[in-house]
Amino acid sequence: MTKTLPLSTTLAALAAALLAAPASALAAEFRLPEFDTVTLPNGLTVYLMERHDVPLISVRAVIKAGAVNDGKQPGLSNLTGDALLLGTKAHDKASIDQAFDYRGARLAGGAGTEGSTVQANFAKADTATLLPLFAEIVQQPSFDAAELAKLQARKVNGLKQAKEAPRNVVQTYYRAMLFGAQPYGSPASGTASSLAALQQSDVQRYYQQYYRPDNAAVIVVGDFQKSAMRQQIESLFGAWQASGAAPVAQDNGKVRADKARVLLVNKPDAIETTFLIGGAGIARNDPDYVQLQVVNTVLGGRFTSWLNDELRVNSGLTYGANSQFAPLAQTGTFAISSFTALPKTEAALALAHKTYQRLWDKGIDAATLASAKAYVKGQFPPRYETSEQLAGLLGDMYAYQVGRAQIDNFTRDVDSLTPAKAKALVDQHFPRTNLQTVLIGKAEAIRELAKQYGEVTELEISADGFH
Amino acid sequence: MKWKVLAASLALALGAVAGAQAAVTAEQVQTFTLANGMKFIVLESHGIPNANMYTFWKVGSRNEAPGITGLSHFFEHMMFNGSKNFGPKMFDRTMEAKGGSNNAYTSTDLTVYQDWFPASSLETIFTLESDRIAHLSIDPKMVASERGVVLSERSTGLENSNLRMLREEVNSVAFLAHPYSWSVIGNESDIKAWTQQDLEHYFRTYYAPNNAVAVIVGDVQADEVKKLATKYFGAIPKRALPPAVRTVEPPQKGERRVFVTKESATAPNLTIAYKIPQAGDPDYYALEVLQSVLAGGKTSRLYKALVEQQLATQVSADSLDGFDPGLLYLSAVAAAKTDPATLEKALLAEVDKLVKDGVTAEELQKVKNQKLVNLYREQETINGKAQQLGNYEVFFGDYRKMFDAPAAYEKLTPADIQAVAAKYLKKSQRTVGVLAAKED
Repeated sequence: MTKTLPLSTTLAALAAALLAAPASALAAEFRLPEFDTVTLPNGLTVYLMERHDVPLISVRAVIKAGAVNDGKQPGLSNLTGDALLLGTKAHDKASIDQAFDYRGARLAGGAGTEGSTVQANFAKADTATLLPLFAEIVQQPSFDAAELAKLQARKVNGLKQAKEAPRNVVQTYYRAMLFGAQPYGSPASGTASSLAALQQSDVQRYYQQYYRPDNAAVIVVGDFQKSAMRQQIESLFGAWQASGAAPVAQDNGKVRADKARVLLVNKPDAIETTFLIGGAGIARNDPDYVQLQVVNTVLGGRFTSWLNDELRVNSGLTYGANSQFAPLAQTGTFAISSFTALPKTEAALALAHKTYQRLWDKGIDAATLASAKAYVKGQFPPRYETSEQLAGLLGDMYAYQVGRAQIDNFTRDVDSLTPAKAKALVDQHFPRTNLQTVLIGKAEAIRELAKQYGEVTELEISADGFH
Repeated sequence: MKWKVLAASLALALGAVAGAQAAVTAEQVQTFTLANGMKFIVLESHGIPNANMYTFWKVGSRNEAPGITGLSHFFEHMMFNGSKNFGPKMFDRTMEAKGGSNNAYTSTDLTVYQDWFPASSLETIFTLESDRIAHLSIDPKMVASERGVVLSERSTGLENSNLRMLREEVNSVAFLAHPYSWSVIGNESDIKAWTQQDLEHYFRTYYAPNNAVAVIVGDVQADEVKKLATKYFGAIPKRALPPAVRTVEPPQKGERRVFVTKESATAPNLTIAYKIPQAGDPDYYALEVLQSVLAGGKTSRLYKALVEQQLATQVSADSLDGFDPGLLYLSAVAAAKTDPATLEKALLAEVDKLVKDGVTAEELQKVKNQKLVNLYREQETINGKAQQLGNYEVFFGDYRKMFDAPAAYEKLTPADIQAVAAKYLKKSQRTVGVLAAKED
């Protein structure tokens, strides 16, 4: 039992990735630790960052491919990312699991909307054993048919189980609603039926097409010497060769917000209503990204934010209310998020809308803005405290083409934000009309209410997929 | 064949891992106790320009009684709702304007307040914390809105986690007399009914400075922390320590069972809970190893027997380790076509095998390696360090025991693990809980 729920981890991680920079005017300057960037002759990008606080090493391979590349097979990139761990040409799954588990090492694979990642974390002393295995996993996966079938079955079950908790799936419904059939609308997890239909040959084809050195980065952060590590990485990944044409860029879609819409997802035994309200946001490389984080902090990015203050502290309607930008490479989304007991749905939705309109009705005063600036800067350094966090940052910089300049200018951008600039940012970037709403709850109790907020589409939560 | 090559290299790596030094040593930790009995543990850590303050209060749901279940947790919320010099909302507003954030959690045994801030804001944090400890206001208007918040917290937990819902019911059956039988968040009727007097009494009884341990880790100077702590917390009067919890759970005389219906469950959830001793018991480390052997990672026994065999989609082991004897939980979520009885049988078969045949030397060494690497991971952040120092101080009576943990694990033999398995994983000492969409 806690005072507050943490913000959605996926979104927080995305947001965190851009906020890397020297920090607080209140504290000693935080500096992004030095790192080397090397491009091998085969096109592989390598990042190396030394950290000597604890004898641990974080390594990850990041591939520029994700759910947007799934085409008509939602879940393919995610299954491929997971399936990398099912064995290599030289070592079966059991021996890989044993090698990592025995040493207390962590190993994970997976894919999101635009990137796929294999990551490991282990004791420095185990580098000589585990790094070569990691390299095999990335470059010579076997995609063993029997293991793949088991993984697939488990993931299908997992997808159904995820829908037992509205919190797990509300973002996926929202994205599907905003982008429809465009690539950004494709659920990274896939759907129970799309996932079940995938074949071993699909996974092999996807791997061949996207897992190639000129579409990937290897990142190592931790307790090692850069020169020796560089040699090791060159020897382990230098022979990796791409075949065929490199993947070409594609348009992944725009948010549809030509009219107000409501997606009502019926969960017949729901005791509360979970909701998201919003529309289009911004891309990861938007020049206003950092300053919008500060503005959003005022609206819904901290405990004393307007949304949490009104919906939780003043009215007791919910345990928590917040708002977030979820940036993508080409565009992004924005949403207000909360939940409330079924009988309080009407009051909570009305208050969320009213509070949101305060951005235009009253705007942000100088004192509140100053506080938000201090908060964003003060909370920044712990986001990049561990090797794992720093490896994640470098991975996002690669996958989402976030230049170092944007990171280094963090303090300057935060400090230079004025109330007038904040008002201009609100007008430019926060969706004010034609808001899109997802409600997950007991449809028979909230169906009439839903109509107040736009054209209603109704789905059963138990139905396959997200739209 | 492939396996043998790897196995050979395992042995080489092993010595290196076991011989590695921890990143933090006991000598780096400094402590002092104010005249009023409030203890401080300070660890300087200069990796980032931030610091934290974790205040551990020895009060949790085990200190409650029917009628006030959930009051410890509700009180945790009320600690943010105003004190003499900082009215409602001002604790959070003041802290956030200085770049800080906070949270808090309540368990069966503790209430812990966590502040995270730029190290330069330390004095602001002490000002805020000392004001609410010395002069908390319990405003009836804030109590009213906070009831709604906590009811929402309770329902969102039940809506979003089947295992949590099942865990609450298992506890209520496993404990007949002891307060561990009710949930930390409390019964809905109690949340709606407790009074102003209940809250005032709770504050006077449990929030005495001598019932707290504060841990500060980060980019601070220990002597400066001591100076400021004395200035801000030193004048808060010492009070009598809270009364001891009297109820001792009577011995369990046989297996207990509970079934929970939840319409939207797509697969059955299973939890089997065994009675175990309190944290700090000599069997603690062996019981920790037992949990890892059963469910720590993809080579654990339950993962191999249930997940790899496609009977379950996930397995886990954890424990209620408090001041009083608790529970060791083994849980699994069934795969689509597995019925609860099949899942239970398969899980219990692994437990029986462990009791009968014990663990291998290699299995034990694996867990020792995992514990050591996890220790490094905890020590990589100022928050991990503060949490661990505080946990050892309150549950083991001395933060220094944290530094003895690697040696305590190292000492364990396969025979120790088997002995503990035989001692605690008994049918008569277990409670079996099943959650599913429909009762048979």
